[in-house]
Amino acid sequence: MPFTDIAVALQISFTYFTVIYLTGLGGLFSERSGIVNIGLEGLMIVGTVSGAWGARYFTDTLDLGQPWGPILGLVAGAAFGAAFAGVHAVATITFRVDHIVSGVVLNLVAVGLARFLSQAFFGQSTQSDPGGPHLTPLAIPGLSSLPGGLDRAFENLSPVVIIAALMVFPVWYALNRLRWGLRLRACGENPEAARSLGVNVSTYRYQGVLLSGAFAGMSGGYLAADVIGNWREGQTLGLGFIALAALILSNWNPVRLLFFAWLFGFAVAIPLRQGLTDFWLIRDVPEQFIRMIPYIVTIVAIAGFVGRVRPPAAAGRAYEGAGGT
Amino acid sequence: MTTEGLAAPAAIVRSRPAWLDTLLGQALALVASLGIAVLAGAVLIVAYGESPVEVYSSILEQSVGSVDGIGYVLAIATPLIFSALAVAVPFKAGLFNIGVEGQYIVAMVVAAWAEVELGFLPGPFLIIAALLAAMLGGMAWAAVPGVLKVTTGAHEVVTTIMMNGIAVSLVGWALNFPLHFDDAPEGAFVDLRTNNFPEQGLVGDLGRMFGITQGAHLSWLLLLAIAASFVVWFLFRRTRLGYEARAVGASPGSARAGGASIGAVQLKVFLISGALAGLVGMQQILADRGHLPQNYIVALGFTGIAVAFLGQNHPIGIVFAAILWGVLSRGEVALQIGSDVPREFVIILQGILILSVVITYQIARRRLSARQLQREGTVGELADAAAPSDRERAREGEDRESGAFAPADDRER
Repeated sequence: MPFTDIAVALQISFTYFTVIYLTGLGGLFSERSGIVNIGLEGLMIVGTVSGAWGARYFTDTLDLGQPWGPILGLVAGAAFGAAFAGVHAVATITFRVDHIVSGVVLNLVAVGLARFLSQAFFGQSTQSDPGGPHLTPLAIPGLSSLPGGLDRAFENLSPVVIIAALMVFPVWYALNRLRWGLRLRACGENPEAARSLGVNVSTYRYQGVLLSGAFAGMSGGYLAADVIGNWREGQTLGLGFIALAALILSNWNPVRLLFFAWLFGFAVAIPLRQGLTDFWLIRDVPEQFIRMIPYIVTIVAIAGFVGRVRPPAAAGRAYEGAGGT
Repeated sequence: MTTEGLAAPAAIVRSRPAWLDTLLGQALALVASLGIAVLAGAVLIVAYGESPVEVYSSILEQSVGSVDGIGYVLAIATPLIFSALAVAVPFKAGLFNIGVEGQYIVAMVVAAWAEVELGFLPGPFLIIAALLAAMLGGMAWAAVPGVLKVTTGAHEVVTTIMMNGIAVSLVGWALNFPLHFDDAPEGAFVDLRTNNFPEQGLVGDLGRMFGITQGAHLSWLLLLAIAASFVVWFLFRRTRLGYEARAVGASPGSARAGGASIGAVQLKVFLISGALAGLVGMQQILADRGHLPQNYIVALGFTGIAVAFLGQNHPIGIVFAAILWGVLSRGEVALQIGSDVPREFVIILQGILILSVVITYQIARRRLSARQLQREGTVGELADAAAPSDRERAREGEDRESGAFAPADDRER
C-alpha cells in the first residue's frame, strides 16, 4: 500500500486546506453580514504579493528574524487584503453598487494591482526572487513519528495550518455567542430588523467585508511566503473560487467549512502527487478531471440535487439605510 | 412583491423629458467617471515624478497617433466587443453571465478541434465551420447554467463561476490529450499547444487595406463584432424576445403577468450570450496565433464585464467602450518605451476607470429614479403609500427579494 503517497498527498492537502479555509472564513464574514463577495480570488492575489513582500521586508530588511518577520509578512498580506476589500465595502455598502459587479471588478483589478505592487516591491512585475523567508515548520510529538510512512503527512507542517484549523473555535464562538457576531448575522439575514433594534447595519457590514479581505489576504500571504517561497503571478490558481465553492457547500457554517475546505484541498492535492495518481481508480482519470471535482460538486449542490444550500437571506441585497436616499 | 404593481403606472407616465433626463444623466456619469480616472491617474503619474500631460499624450500618441496604432487598438477591441455583448444580453434580462470566461475558453477548444479535424475543407467553409463550432461550444457551456437556472433556480453567478473553473481544466486536458501538438519536428522542444491550423482556415487580414501593419493582426472579425453589436441592438429594440427579455429584467412579476414565459426567455438569452462568448477567442486563435496555445490570453471574459459596464450595456456603446479600453491597453507600450511610470499604470488606470464607472452610474441611476419619483408624486397619491426605498428598488429591477445566492424556492422562476 502506498502509505507514503497518501501521506504526502495529505501533507499537500493540509496546505491547500489552509489556503481554502482562511479564504473561506473571509467570505463567511462578508456574506454573513449580507455582502456577497466573489472577489475573494482578487483579495487573495493582493495578499500573495504583499505577503511575500512583507515576509522579506520584516525578516531581512528590518532584520526581525524568526518568527516575527514571517508573522508580520502574514499581517502585511492581511492588511493589504483588508485595504483592498475596503474598495468592495465602499462600493457595495456606501454606494450600493451590485455586489457581484463590484466583486468582479475586484478580481479584475487585482491582477493589475498585484503587478503594480510587485513593480514597487520587487522591481519586477510578475514574480519575486525565490526562497523568501517563511515560518519554521512545527514538529508535533507523536504525529511526526507515525509508522509506515504516515509521518510524512505531518512533515514540514507550517504553524499556520494549525492556526487555521484552530480558527474554527473563535470564529464559531464569535458568530454564535458574541453580541458582535449575532448582530453581524442579523445584518445578513434581516437588515431592517437589525436596524430597528438599533444596530448600525453599515458598520457591521463594513467590518464583515474588511475581515473578509484580512482573511483572504492572509491566506494569500501564506500561499506566497510560506508555501511557495516567493510571489508569482497566477499562483492562486483559482483557489479563491474553490474557497467560494467550499463556503457555499458548507452552508456558510465555519464548522462544516472545515470539512469542505479539507476535501477540496485534497482534490487539489491529488494531481500534484505523482505516486498517488498511479494508484487505484485515479490511474485512469486524467488529473485535469480531478481538478474539476470541487466545481462539479458545487454545481450539483447548488442545483439542489444534494442537500440544501441556504445562504444568508439578505446577502446580495443593498440596504437602503434608515430613511433611504 | 406588492411594490411591483406600483411600477406599472410609472411606465405610462414616462415621457420624453424623462428619456432626456436619462440620457443626460448617463452622459454626465460617463464624463464624471472618465474625469475621476484621469485625475486619479494624474496624481499617480506626479507621484512618479513625471508630467501627466506628457504621459497621457504619449499613451494617445501610441494608440491613436498612427494608422498602425489604430490597427492595434481595434484588434484589441475585437474580442472585447464580443465579450461585452455576451455580458450585456443576459444583463438586460436581469441575469449575470460571469461565465463568459469559461465559455470562450471552451469555444476555443471546440473551434481548434474543428480547424484540426476539418482541415480538408476549402477556406471560407473551414472558417465558417470553426466559427459555428465556437458558437456551439460557447452555447453548450452556457446551457448548463441556463438550464439549471430555469429548472432548479440555481443562481447563475455561482454556476458560471464553477463552469469557469471546469473550463480551465478542460482546456488543459484537451491540449494534453486529444488536441496535443504532434506535428512538431522530431526532437524539438514542444510547447503545450495544438497543431497549427491550416492556412486557409485563418481569418484574413483586414488592416492591409488601410495600410495597417500585419503585426497588428487586425482581422475581418472586427466587422463581425460590429455586425454582432447591431444584431444585438436589433434583437432588443425590434424583436419580441428582446422586448420580453427587457420586461423580465425590469420586473419578473410584471413580465409574467404580461404573458412572457420567464424560464424560456432566460434560457434563450443565456444561449445567445454563450454563442457571442464563443466568438471571443477567435481573434486570438484564428487571427493572432493560428493555433491554440497553453498560454492563451485569459480574463477576456471578465474584461468584457468591465467593458459592458463602461458601455452601459448598450450594444453600440459597447463598441466604443471596447475601443477606449483598447486605447488604454495599447498605451502600455508607450509607458514601456519612454517613461519612469511602470506599464502596469495602465491596468491601474483601467481599474480606477471601471470602479468610478460603476459607482457614478449607480449614483446617477439613484438620482434619476429619485427625480422620477418626484415627477410621479404629482400624478398619484399611490406613490406616497410605500416607503421610498421599496419603490426605488422595485423600479430598478433590484427586487430580488432574496440574495444573489438564493436557493431554488425563493427565486422567481
